[in-house]
Amino acid sequence: MWVAAFSENASENNDKERNKHNMEKHTDPKINLRSMAECLLSAPPAKADDAFKEFVDVLRLAIAQGLYADAAAALGQAALPTLDYTRLQTLQRCRKQLRSKATGARQSVKLAILGSFTTKQLTDFIDLFLFAAGVEANIFEGEYGVFRQEIFDVQSEMRRFAPQVLFLATTWRDLAHHPNFASDAAEVSRVVEAEYGDWAALWQKAHESLGCQIIQNNFTLPPWRPFANHETRQAGSPTSYIALVNQTFARSAPSFVIIHDVDHLASLAGRWRWDDPRFYHNAKLPCDPECLVDYAHSVASIIAAQLGLAKKCLVLDLDNTLWGGVLGDDGLGGIRLGQGDPAGESFLEFQRYAQSLRRRGVLLAVCSKNQRETAWDAFKNHPEMALRQDDFSCFMANWNDKASNLRAIAQQLNIGLDSLVFIDDNPAERAIVRQLAPEVAVPELPEDVIGYIRTIEQHRYFQVLSVGAEDYQRTAFYQADQGRQHVQSTAVDIETFLRSLEMKARIGPINATTLERSVQLIHRSNQFNLTARRHSVAEVTRLLEDRAWITLTVSLSDRFGDNGLISVVLAHMSGEAFEIDTWLMSCRVLKRGVEQFVLNHLCSRASKCGLKVVRGEYIPTAKNALVRDHYAGLGFNQAGGDNAGHTYWELPMASQRQPLTTFIEETV
Amino acid sequence: MDELRDEVQKVFRAVFDDDQLVLVDNMTADDVPGWDSLGHLNLVIALEKHFGIRFATAEISSLKEEGQNTGSLLALIKSKTSM
Repeated sequence: MWVAAFSENASENNDKERNKHNMEKHTDPKINLRSMAECLLSAPPAKADDAFKEFVDVLRLAIAQGLYADAAAALGQAALPTLDYTRLQTLQRCRKQLRSKATGARQSVKLAILGSFTTKQLTDFIDLFLFAAGVEANIFEGEYGVFRQEIFDVQSEMRRFAPQVLFLATTWRDLAHHPNFASDAAEVSRVVEAEYGDWAALWQKAHESLGCQIIQNNFTLPPWRPFANHETRQAGSPTSYIALVNQTFARSAPSFVIIHDVDHLASLAGRWRWDDPRFYHNAKLPCDPECLVDYAHSVASIIAAQLGLAKKCLVLDLDNTLWGGVLGDDGLGGIRLGQGDPAGESFLEFQRYAQSLRRRGVLLAVCSKNQRETAWDAFKNHPEMALRQDDFSCFMANWNDKASNLRAIAQQLNIGLDSLVFIDDNPAERAIVRQLAPEVAVPELPEDVIGYIRTIEQHRYFQVLSVGAEDYQRTAFYQADQGRQHVQSTAVDIETFLRSLEMKARIGPINATTLERSVQLIHRSNQFNLTARRHSVAEVTRLLEDRAWITLTVSLSDRFGDNGLISVVLAHMSGEAFEIDTWLMSCRVLKRGVEQFVLNHLCSRASKCGLKVVRGEYIPTAKNALVRDHYAGLGFNQAGGDNAGHTYWELPMASQRQPLTTFIEETV
Repeated sequence: MDELRDEVQKVFRAVFDDDQLVLVDNMTADDVPGWDSLGHLNLVIALEKHFGIRFATAEISSLKEEGQNTGSLLALIKSKTSM
């Protein structure tokens, strides 16, 4: 009896202690949120449950206290594709409490999701991942299985909703045409054509009536194979048929349709696992519920990229990240890199992966605590090094703290801090960067470098919507920039410098060859972008057909190389005015007189059309302060504005307008 | 069984956002706020992950049928684990 009473007391005391402890910990949720998010990210598997629960407790407390922006930031750090279904559901319930609260979201999007299965969970997760990326999504979720009706019915609710992005969440169950097992290749292609025709008609209809960007799933290959190993050689087999439909989608879909590669997701998960039909038969879920996490993340990353939020630069540490060992201690001959040593081979493989990203247009940079010359020397002289000096657009090897170096890298490359992904083997450096430069994406990494590739892939940082010739050359553009910066520092004055560049510009409307690059710039340019209106391919295509609209693209070359297409302007005639809807430029060519050159061109166009005035506007965003005085600098008069900093500008057309001086020669 | 009950209770608390929830044998979906068809699905998914078990297609739906309660759920999980 006595013992029982004692132990009861003891446990009560323990509870009190625990509560007191919790109280202390929770007094400042702002500080706690950050440290809890950090604990969650770095928790070993055995402690993950507790870390998650503590994080959610603090998150809820912060929301209850009205700390919406802090809660949103913490949620953004925590909502990762590495979480499981159950934890993501918990975070989504917290996210719902933040709906229509001031969370400091950078962007918004109107998204319609039409599916042939239960889209509820997928929609919730897409919403959560978008929220984590800083996007407040307004989502219309269609009724189960009526996607065709929603598109073809002119009275449908979805039509009234007028989405910017339409996601068609379909599965192989929606394939309407099937060949016979015995069909030959010619017959199968006819069936594929019929199948493709149905989808193309649906996309065309949606495009005409909504003018929105469409995201269309392809189809997963089945795990079961009636023809066993012969499956891929039998034209009429399910695998061969679906594979051909997918190829046709990839090759033939118009540019306003993004093909979402669900089949790849299924192959990553394993096809039997992905296709677990228990939840389809019970609840019409499209796949194993745990796979919905990756599925939603994939869709959300595409939408985020569409909004210009894809990352642009991979920043790499050196010691124990690109090679094994410490260069300063072990010397060039002592580091582990290259063939013959398992660890050395894995570092080499990681370098090759980074190089493959560079080759397709991702910028690479170094951020390392090292002697600059020693580090630079390693890239020049180590025989097994895959990455070479010219793979890097920026090289920061010094003894400054890494957060400051990352800021310097962003500045030098003229991109936002939130366009960087930082890879460092040292958990402490990662934690510090997350604290001091929370805009930078810093993934937790496995101990073994060989897992880095998977981690980077899993986060889908560098999502691509389309690829132009420019992507392959991007690093070369930035390197030519370094040559220009050198001339800049030696030239006597700006005029001499600009003349010495021998710039030539090509100016012309958006056409079939420049459409993709133009839209890419419309989506990606943040700093020199007056209105940051993210027109989709579909919208721009419509403008091209509208005679009231004028589109301009500028390509600039100079004696250091071709900068490619660097500026886009969209304007339309309205009465006697020329109204500039969009004016953007790549920051690579800042202060080169391209703006003046473009304005001269616009004014002569306006005069030819007999227009009296050119109007422009500036809509402030988190990143475009650079161009706040753009119109003032070009001689426009302010014609209005509001408290939020949105300003309107006018330039009357004088009869004898003197063009502004530039040092750019126009070519054809 | 008590250890199993504690573990299942932990899952219930996480899925239904209720730290005070106490699992007793004769509870049904009506007794737990949030245990609707969506909540049921979330519960099944969380239990499968937590215990590393698999419910059969028919078991997933039968668990919320008439006459089923947390007692029968516990028994089913017990039959699938070594706890």
